[in-house]
Amino acid sequence: MDHFPTSWGRPRTEAYDAYNTFPLHQRPNPGHKDAFAEGVQRTQQPIVTGTSVLGILYKDGIMLVADTLASYGSLARFKSIQRLHPVGSSTVIGASGDMSDFQYLQTLLEELIIEEFAEADKHELGPAEIHEYLSRIMYGRRSKMNPLWNSLLVAGKKDGKRFLAYVDLLGTTYSASTIATGYGAYIALPLLRTAVEGKEDTLTEEEARKILEDAMRVLFYRDARSLDKYQIAIVNDEGVTISEPKKIETEWGFAEGIRGYGAQIQ
Amino acid sequence: MSIMEYNGGSVIAMVGKNCVAIASDLRLGVQSLGIASNFQKIFPVTDRIFVGLPGLATDVTTLHEQFRYRVNMYTIKEEREIEPETFAALVSSTLYERRFGPYFIEPVIAGMQRTPSGSYKPFIAATDLIGCLNFAKDFVVAGTASDKLFGVAEGLWEEDLGPEDLFETISQTMLNAVDRDTNSGWGVVVHLLTKDKVITRTLKGRMD
Amino acid sequence: MPDGSYAHPQQRQFNPYTENGGTILAIAGADFTVIAGDTRQSEGYSIQTRYAPKVFRLTDRAVLAVNGFAADGNMFVKKVKQRLEWYRHAHAKDMPLRAIARLIQTMLYAQRFFPYYVYNILGGIEEDGSGAVYSFDPVGSYEREACRAAGAAQSLVQPFLDNQIYFKNQQLPPGQTRPLHLSLSDVLSIVIDSFTSATERHIEVGDGLEIYVVLAKGRGPQGLEAVRGAQELTTNAEGDRVFIVRRELKKD
Repeated sequence: MDHFPTSWGRPRTEAYDAYNTFPLHQRPNPGHKDAFAEGVQRTQQPIVTGTSVLGILYKDGIMLVADTLASYGSLARFKSIQRLHPVGSSTVIGASGDMSDFQYLQTLLEELIIEEFAEADKHELGPAEIHEYLSRIMYGRRSKMNPLWNSLLVAGKKDGKRFLAYVDLLGTTYSASTIATGYGAYIALPLLRTAVEGKEDTLTEEEARKILEDAMRVLFYRDARSLDKYQIAIVNDEGVTISEPKKIETEWGFAEGIRGYGAQIQ
Repeated sequence: MSIMEYNGGSVIAMVGKNCVAIASDLRLGVQSLGIASNFQKIFPVTDRIFVGLPGLATDVTTLHEQFRYRVNMYTIKEEREIEPETFAALVSSTLYERRFGPYFIEPVIAGMQRTPSGSYKPFIAATDLIGCLNFAKDFVVAGTASDKLFGVAEGLWEEDLGPEDLFETISQTMLNAVDRDTNSGWGVVVHLLTKDKVITRTLKGRMD
Repeated sequence: MPDGSYAHPQQRQFNPYTENGGTILAIAGADFTVIAGDTRQSEGYSIQTRYAPKVFRLTDRAVLAVNGFAADGNMFVKKVKQRLEWYRHAHAKDMPLRAIARLIQTMLYAQRFFPYYVYNILGGIEEDGSGAVYSFDPVGSYEREACRAAGAAQSLVQPFLDNQIYFKNQQLPPGQTRPLHLSLSDVLSIVIDSFTSATERHIEVGDGLEIYVVLAKGRGPQGLEAVRGAQELTTNAEGDRVFIVRRELKKD
């Protein structure tokens, strides 16, 4: 069997979508003998991708949410992938974009945490340090014209200070009280900003969770590369907790009455 | 390069207290080559309306003739002078007739509009090259220096300027904006309209 | 093609740059300099954050504003600060402004064939106590000026500054003269007006305004009282002094 995923063929042909696995990269022409004639081949597009990650600040900490889907183009290829990942004891990262690049970053971070632990100096890397490290990796790779194709959220709480920041394949970074990646930046972010801005220090855990669940529902309705199964990561004074996968409750009864959606009348 | 920038040129109109002003540069060029420094882009329509036609020079002439013809027909049929607001609608529909093969002109209209009580109120408007009207309360700009004009006008303009203050404001706006634009300049002309007179002044500008 | 390949291979090159909007501005006076920038960071039509600083204090007499591709900008500022720290360790003093300017030119030109996509404006106080502004292009061409705007709304702000700072196209009655330099309070008003105007007419400008004021050694804070809430950032009160003033801009 051919184990190279890009030889499996594409499920569909459609217009180019910057947020997705399309077009799939070409394998070198089989008749082509010299493997180095065109220089080194690098990642020019993502293959197996995750969609939006959302993050908000609330009273006691930070909350991240992401669904559990890893798509292969328009194919919902892996439906139980964890896209939220704890780093150390006070940080969690959430990834959208290429999942293999994300897993590579996980191994880098694991090495980093182990090296830091081995110092045995009671010092631990906090969210700000993890974010700095990630942005240097991402910017370094973009500068080699060989990017890690991700948009990442870094969230954490250390020494009583909340931290929520973004970094992407270009090395672009920023911090805000509500951040969303991918389609979430268009669909969910306006909802999150209305719900959160100005209330960062008063929102309870329950309220924050409700805001994120509502946003994920809207995303599931409108983002074709999303799934109704999601995980929430919470970072507060107690540390990092990543929930078990949960289902989004949806309502499709209305679809029946929409022309071009439900059964066709007339 | 865009056809809108082929010959260069810019126009601005501003509202004041019981007056309006419209100004343009005098340059005609072919891309970076200057051809003439006396190219009028603003034309009288009636005694109380001026229209500025920045854009492709050949269309300046064509549209000016077209507007002259249509305004004359209006005057004959209606047996009265056209009002600025009506003229703006005429400009808009004339341009939209050519929706899919437009004239490369973004007209600016300035005039004193007669009110039902018999007094006059200032009127300005501008359209894009296919006739989308923009009635502004403060100022309108068009041409190759439009972004510069926006910046300076937004900084200098204030409400209820008297005729002389309005003249100074529009002149300073125009001169300083075209000095930062390679495709506009070579002198400026300003028309100041009040209820009973029009003052036209030609300003000396940088010739580089 | 059914096998997923294309008859004509599609080429899509990774683009290592983007534009993050915003505008910066600096004006030099006789014995002070004002350096300002808005705090919006955007990509396309999306506002990423309403607070991402573009203006940075380098020393007690030098402030650097960076505008363009934010990732390059942040990396560039980081490297300039590192070089200034090395200089401090080697010479036990802060690098003079004109030397920082030359350093920046060298650092930018070193990346001539993969440039930092950033417009830099450096402001501060020279060794002779005069206010100075240095402006750079992305590959290091630079000159000393009295005032400069850069970024998304450069074309809106620069001609306004020509008029209000250089008094371009304004002539005085014969016999009258103008003071050689503007007062600090006038400069601050012009800076705030420039940014409110740019915010009004440019979608990538807005949210917040950060104004740094650098005062020459021995100069009192006169003129600074014209604005509320100036905050001092100086580390050594004996030398030149740095202040920051923050203002809200429209968020739409």
